[in-house]
Amino acid sequence: MDSKFSPAILSNAVPPYGHVIANEKWRGSALVQNFKGNVKVIFEEEPGVVDFYLSNKSCIIYVSEGDLVAGNYYKRRIVRFRNANSSLQGIIIVEKTHLSEQYFPSMQKFVVLELGLTLLPVASQAEASQLIGHLALTEGKDNPFRRRSTSRLLEPVVLALVQQIPGVGKVKAQALLHQFSSIHQLSTTSISDLEPIVGQAAAQHIWGFFHHQLD
Amino acid sequence: AVAPSAAPSAALPGGLCVLVDSRCITGGAAVVSCLRLRHGVTAQVCSLDGCDFVVSNRMGVEWQAQAELASTQNRKRLQERVQSMLGLYDRVCLIVEKDNVKTRDARQPFQRTRYYDNTLAGLVRANVRLLVSEGPEDTASLLAELARVEQRKGQAIGVPTEVKGHRQQALQFYLTLPCVSYVNALNMCQNFRSVAQLVSSSVEALQAGACISRSRAEEIYRSLRYDCNPSLMSTNTNKTSKCGS
Repeated sequence: MDSKFSPAILSNAVPPYGHVIANEKWRGSALVQNFKGNVKVIFEEEPGVVDFYLSNKSCIIYVSEGDLVAGNYYKRRIVRFRNANSSLQGIIIVEKTHLSEQYFPSMQKFVVLELGLTLLPVASQAEASQLIGHLALTEGKDNPFRRRSTSRLLEPVVLALVQQIPGVGKVKAQALLHQFSSIHQLSTTSISDLEPIVGQAAAQHIWGFFHHQLD
Repeated sequence: AVAPSAAPSAALPGGLCVLVDSRCITGGAAVVSCLRLRHGVTAQVCSLDGCDFVVSNRMGVEWQAQAELASTQNRKRLQERVQSMLGLYDRVCLIVEKDNVKTRDARQPFQRTRYYDNTLAGLVRANVRLLVSEGPEDTASLLAELARVEQRKGQAIGVPTEVKGHRQQALQFYLTLPCVSYVNALNMCQNFRSVAQLVSSSVEALQAGACISRSRAEEIYRSLRYDCNPSLMSTNTNKTSKCGS
């Protein structure tokens, strides 16, 4: 086996919050130096396909301008990672520059559409270190994009649903739900049971709404 | 090609269909015509409410200019859009289109800000798939490619996208259910004989008929069987919330 590649995954790969585990080859690089005080870097001696491990189960594979131009080597690395990986979210950071941008569309197709991994383009190592810093630090905070859990009380939803029935406004909807407490109950009620509550015409509308064949 | 029988169908057999939000039709005319003419995709304009394109039964696509994504003024709107999309679609994609080169110096590189990086990081953590586009034509080919990948996974939009008569009323009812996107509602109109049949369906039948995940089917099932407490209805609840918004 190619020793350069063998450990695709480190055994103890999740660093503490605010720390990044970097592949040994990044020691002394501008990218790592740019982290400054924001992020602490731990170097991993055993080289693998992954360049940086972040907390919260994600890791970064860095594709430089040269890698992108040269082509297949980075693809092998990513496929290698994909095949070995079980639980880490793979983020590919790529240097998209004037030299390499013509290769970017096919890379995007390969990484995002075919492999389903995340791809983030940067223009330089300096931009990359800023971005990695954010990726390493956002995870502890509340993510504004995550949807918040909704109320478990569904009364407003059910009331709105009943008002979607033709001829039923808010008043009739409330009256119906006082009598038949759920949509399911309402849908199984006969016209004669609906009539005393909403009148003959509306009763027929409601029954028809549930039972008309939709074709 | 021979027109499909019955109602105007989403696409010819084996063809691809993409739903386009009516509000993005003005800005997206170039994308839509490119989808139709160059990629042979049926691009159906609908009122999607909260998402620019739908490329499969489970994937919604938001389309933004890079400058828009980088603008802090847009922060709240983007958060709301993404949150509501995560509530409605199992897969959410964001296409970031490079700004129109005519409007600024072509050689002037895009200035990355802390806000921009932070936004990207948040989107990645929320499992939003990011795609970069060079312009409307590129956006169209990315959409066509997404639809093709989803078709390969058996998730292509395969129902008639025009709805008439009683189905129109049923569609509005289905859209009011929690977690139901426009394409889910179209599937419901097609696959259940009547509203009553859908209402009395099991979780499994809902999942299959609406082409949705188990958890969404459970959420719908729960809302259909939910016993309302009359005392909680008389209060002024004028706005219903779909899950996630």
